[in-house]
Amino acid sequence: MQFLAPLFFVALAGLAIPVLLHLTQREKKQIVHFPSLMFVRRIPYESVRRRKIHNWLLLMVRLAALALIIFAFARPLISRADQAPPPGAGAREVVILVDGSYSMGYGDHWQRAVGAARDQINRLNASDRGSVVVFGSSADILLRTTSERDRLTAALTASQPRPSATRFAPALKVAGSILAESSLPRREVVLISDFQRGGWRGDEGAHLPMGVTMTPVAIQNPADRPNVTVTGVSIARSTFSNQERAVVTAGVVNRTERPVSGATMTLEVGGLPIATKPLAVEPGSAATIAFDPFTISAKNLRGTVRLSDDALAADNSFNFVISPSEPLHLTVVDRGGASTLYLSRALSIGDAPRFDVVTREPDAVSDEDLRKSAVVLLNDVEVGVGFARRLNRYVEQGGGLFVATGSHATWPQEVDLLPATIGPPVDRSRGDFGRIGALEYGHPIFEVFRAPRSGDFSAVPVYGYRNLTTAKDAQVLARFDAGTPAVVERKVGGGRVVMWGSTMDVTWSEFPQRPVFLPFVHRAVRHLANYKEPQPWVTVGQVLDPAATSVLRGQRVVLTPGGKRLPIDDEGSDVVELSDQGFYELRGDKNQNVTVVAVNVDPAEADLTPMDPKEIVAAATGSSGEDEGATVSGVPLTPEAKEKNQRLWWYLLCGGIVLLAADTLLSNRLGKT
Amino acid sequence: MAVETHAIPGARFMDPAVLARIGNLELVARAVVDGFINGLHKAPYFGASVDFAEHRGYVPGDDIRRMDWKLWARTDRYYIKEYEAESNMNFSVLLDASKSMDYGTRGITKFDYARILTACLTNLVHHQRDRVGFVAFDSDVIEHVPPSAKHMETVLHVLDRLKPGRPGNLKAPLHRLAEHFGRRGVLVVISDFYEEPEAVLDALSPLRFRGNDLIVFHVLDKSEIEFGFDDAQPFEDLESGEQMPVVPEAFREEYRSLVKAHVDALTQSFSAVRVDYSMLDTSMPLDHALFRYLNSRARTMKIR
Repeated sequence: MQFLAPLFFVALAGLAIPVLLHLTQREKKQIVHFPSLMFVRRIPYESVRRRKIHNWLLLMVRLAALALIIFAFARPLISRADQAPPPGAGAREVVILVDGSYSMGYGDHWQRAVGAARDQINRLNASDRGSVVVFGSSADILLRTTSERDRLTAALTASQPRPSATRFAPALKVAGSILAESSLPRREVVLISDFQRGGWRGDEGAHLPMGVTMTPVAIQNPADRPNVTVTGVSIARSTFSNQERAVVTAGVVNRTERPVSGATMTLEVGGLPIATKPLAVEPGSAATIAFDPFTISAKNLRGTVRLSDDALAADNSFNFVISPSEPLHLTVVDRGGASTLYLSRALSIGDAPRFDVVTREPDAVSDEDLRKSAVVLLNDVEVGVGFARRLNRYVEQGGGLFVATGSHATWPQEVDLLPATIGPPVDRSRGDFGRIGALEYGHPIFEVFRAPRSGDFSAVPVYGYRNLTTAKDAQVLARFDAGTPAVVERKVGGGRVVMWGSTMDVTWSEFPQRPVFLPFVHRAVRHLANYKEPQPWVTVGQVLDPAATSVLRGQRVVLTPGGKRLPIDDEGSDVVELSDQGFYELRGDKNQNVTVVAVNVDPAEADLTPMDPKEIVAAATGSSGEDEGATVSGVPLTPEAKEKNQRLWWYLLCGGIVLLAADTLLSNRLGKT
Repeated sequence: MAVETHAIPGARFMDPAVLARIGNLELVARAVVDGFINGLHKAPYFGASVDFAEHRGYVPGDDIRRMDWKLWARTDRYYIKEYEAESNMNFSVLLDASKSMDYGTRGITKFDYARILTACLTNLVHHQRDRVGFVAFDSDVIEHVPPSAKHMETVLHVLDRLKPGRPGNLKAPLHRLAEHFGRRGVLVVISDFYEEPEAVLDALSPLRFRGNDLIVFHVLDKSEIEFGFDDAQPFEDLESGEQMPVVPEAFREEYRSLVKAHVDALTQSFSAVRVDYSMLDTSMPLDHALFRYLNSRARTMKIR
């Protein structure tokens, strides 16, 4: 029994009015003047009390009449749930969504969720059909639209929580697609989850088809067991005795209401525990544990921070990969002398990455130099045709080339590599000196100067520059105030060429003496070398793109933490989804250049703060969780059936009116007597 | 008996509340009484003559002018014709003007009803050439018009300006007045008698000591008899100002029985001492009271 207008029950408070009137009647201030109270005085006052008992019947009749009328206005509705489904019209399509995120591993949550799902499966009739979907950040259909309960149960029992985070929207979309294809009259979704707040980001476009009933089954209990989560690690590198060392600091948080004491945290490097520290965290607080430094002895060194066991095991370990930092090899080509002073000084500064600079004259650059170098910098030199062609091949194979054009710079016409042809010098030493403007701040080189007071190029005096004429496919990144390109870039094959229209010393400009010089050089070199800082770890659900690794092309294979081998073809852009917690390995065919990726669970999933399941029900079905009337029925009701379900109000109203009439008769009769 | 015609022949049957709206007491009294006297001729229970008394045999010394010659012609005996003595009777109305009389729910207060009744009685008696007097009292005597054949106008004037205002008490004023009525007469007491029957009787008894005929009219409003109130309200005593909460529905039965017992007790007490007692409610037409008076007078004559 439900009510279409339950707000009318507020009027039940009005039932007190007859009673109050009855009680306050004697308090009337209007005084009756009477000749003498001689006789009245003789009547015992207690008789007043007997009157209440005398009129009880009248009062009850009035109250009952009012109550019936109020109930009638509240529009009682006999819900379909109270009625047996009509024969032949009750076949159901049930989609059971089971939360398989790693937070379900907390305590006995997973066992309870499986038990609840099994109950739902057992309720299926022979004519019903069921589907089982286990979801985390994505949804997997274990078994789709079958009436075989044994298979559904078996598929459910075989599944386990995954290391992924909870996302309700993909699961609801999958359920919606299954139900949309169903022809059965009653369609239902059962959502079994621990309903973490983090799993729902409001309306994510997950709407179930019209007429679908959604039943949330919350697997929640108070966090009676403590749980600590490793939220991340920070790695600080240092050099000691020409050996690179790392200090690992792990952050932990205890989101439960119980303190954690007596726990331990262990740092494993290369699969061996090297340090263990005690851990105590107060409820609702965080802590950090710093381990002693260790030497980064090899490339792709695997590290894990591991907590002792608690209520939720999946968030107790945190993996990372660390390798010795490798310098970027650069070759600076100059004419000798002091012209490279500012450039070499600028490149000698830098930790991430370090720059390993080799200085050569144009004739002395060997193929080995080019093979080793990530970037070649031509600092105002004359380039012959042979050298230009070698550079062209070098760039096409992925190398980076930086060209600074002073008074000596030349480039053979035969080789089309530079982004601009080098024109005659422009002398700006008389009158106004030249300035740099019109910077392309969206470009990686100039991106750091985008913010205000992050470096002012317009204040750099330039007294001379070469008149550059850009190539068709070149991009101008900066111009001088006269409109002449100052910095031009061109992509050639797998590499890039960046050209600077002036010198890298103080003969033609004061640029090397200005603060913007050092970041400009570093950014340009990192951009040309296509340098990216190595990521110590990634999160479950991200993908591994083999093309972005340094593993050589050819037959490659990915080893998952579970030991599976996933071969990757050279053709196409095949990517691997990182779905397990642990270390993934990408190997070439000769086991060379192995890339290791550490994968961790999303620490936000360990936050078990629950949400109200009605919020999801409301968003998915378009009605509040309480109003089953709007979603309970998959079979459209006929107008007669709707009217029949709501007809009760009419009887209540008639009953109320009859009682009022009886009240009138009764009170008249009492009045006469 | 002189009979006058009047423009309002049915006035005696009129609702007293209507009569009360006529401000002039004399007009009201004349209208009521004249109509009443007209109707008397048709009343079957009233004697043909009040003048002739009896015949008696002639004894020497009797005035031969009173000899009934017609009877001598028939019987050849001398009979003297005897008439009722021409007694100019003293008639006084003793009106209770206490505050409790100033109450009415039907457009007329008990006091107004009593005033009209007084005026009518006075007028009726004045027609008979009797001497009329008037006394108003509450806890004391507040107006006193001695009986006189010429006091009709005075009585009406006093009645006209009389207003009830103070709490009443029967005993003190009536005991004082009893000493003043030295000559035999008729005394009419009009009151609501809100005292115990014994106290009422005790207060009125001295009025009879000098041979006065005592007629008592007990005037009550309908609501004092029926107690037809609906709402539970505080009631205030008009005289004492005392208040008490009253639930009429609960009180009604008991109240009615108490009033009835009071009236019964008064009836019994007065009849025991041969005082003519009538209970009037203000909705009754005035002729009822006038009949009661005349009946009482006729009965007294017969007894005598």
